[in-house]
Amino acid sequence: MMQQPATSSYSELYSAYAAGQLDPAFALLLETQSMLRRDVRGALAASEAVSGFMLETAEPVQMSAGAGARALELIDALESGDSVTATDFTGDAELACLPMPLRDKALEAFDAAGWQANAPGIRRMKLDVGSDLEIELYRIQPNAKVPRHSHGGTEFTLVVAGGFSDETGSYGPGDLAVKGPDDTHQPVGDPGEVCFALAVRDAGLQFTGIMGVIQRVLGR
Amino acid sequence: MNDTVTTTISPDVRQRHADCMALIASDKCRASFSELFDFYAPRVKSYMLRLGASALEAEDLAQDVMVTVWRKAGMYDRKQASVSTWIFRVARNRRIDKFRRTSRPDLDADEPMLRPPDIEQPDAALDRVQIEETVRAELVKLPHEQLELLQAAFYEGLSHSEIATKFNLPLGTVKSRIRLAFGRLRGQLEPEGGDADT
Repeated sequence: MMQQPATSSYSELYSAYAAGQLDPAFALLLETQSMLRRDVRGALAASEAVSGFMLETAEPVQMSAGAGARALELIDALESGDSVTATDFTGDAELACLPMPLRDKALEAFDAAGWQANAPGIRRMKLDVGSDLEIELYRIQPNAKVPRHSHGGTEFTLVVAGGFSDETGSYGPGDLAVKGPDDTHQPVGDPGEVCFALAVRDAGLQFTGIMGVIQRVLGR
Repeated sequence: MNDTVTTTISPDVRQRHADCMALIASDKCRASFSELFDFYAPRVKSYMLRLGASALEAEDLAQDVMVTVWRKAGMYDRKQASVSTWIFRVARNRRIDKFRRTSRPDLDADEPMLRPPDIEQPDAALDRVQIEETVRAELVKLPHEQLELLQAAFYEGLSHSEIATKFNLPLGTVKSRIRLAFGRLRGQLEPEGGDADT
């Protein structure tokens, strides 16, 4: 059976990601979503296949004389000073269960600063992905309440594990919640599993047209 | 005739490139590396030039990418991607490290990222090889004007509005053409939601 059409929808985000033009915070959000959702995974695989095809069929530009030999010399130098750094999993065991590449970023942040308690049962941790946007991982215990808040800009929250609910509905793994500056909400961790969620926040920067998206797609 | 696509390599050659990767990983085979270098380094250089690197930078980056290919050959899996796609990813990531020019495109109202997932068959593994085969088979059949828009979006990384300016097309036309082309690459015969606007 072919995938149903809705699953193969094109997004400008996919081509921007494949071409390496997407902001790193968004790229991580999209990669994480692709680990949780087969439809997104397929769309990204197809997008990268397009880019790969373009590279393969690109008009070659000759390298300078002896470039290949120099590459082999570089390799020899590298091999002799072999420094394999094994990353050992000292971080929080829970974090080791997150999908890659989010896991690496989370473990890095865990080693650097660790979790910050936010409210009873709520912890959060800023990730460093080299973006101007704010990107944080949340850990929400079952039934724990994130303090009611509004947003300076737009907030994108991807559920990675478990789930949470707020006034607008319930969100499970792979779901993305978008909140605009005028929304205030109080997410509550769903009973059962601990919820991990990845939030990308854009403090002052404007997302053109995003309010329309919120109203039409999520407007309830 | 289509002049955007110069030459696609045959399945045999693609197979051979994958074998080269395996030999680098298992035997540190230098001959295999040289073979890949001769094919890919000039293409990676071409990619870097197209993306605005100077001749010197493009040459260095191509060297660097190929050395990374040697180092990471063990991570290559022919069931996940063709060598071209895999090397593209290495090149792309190297370029991002070097020149951070990233952006956030505007999100459409029907942004798939915001949609709930369709009913998934959790056990059905994603057949990446099949996806890539379909993409390749359809790409060579696309009309030139769709192919050059895909190239601008997926290779050069232009946003839809930048593409509209570059090709002097209405934004809506750019969006619908790319959407239509991408649908074909995913094996859809009919454009979703009609309105092909070609």
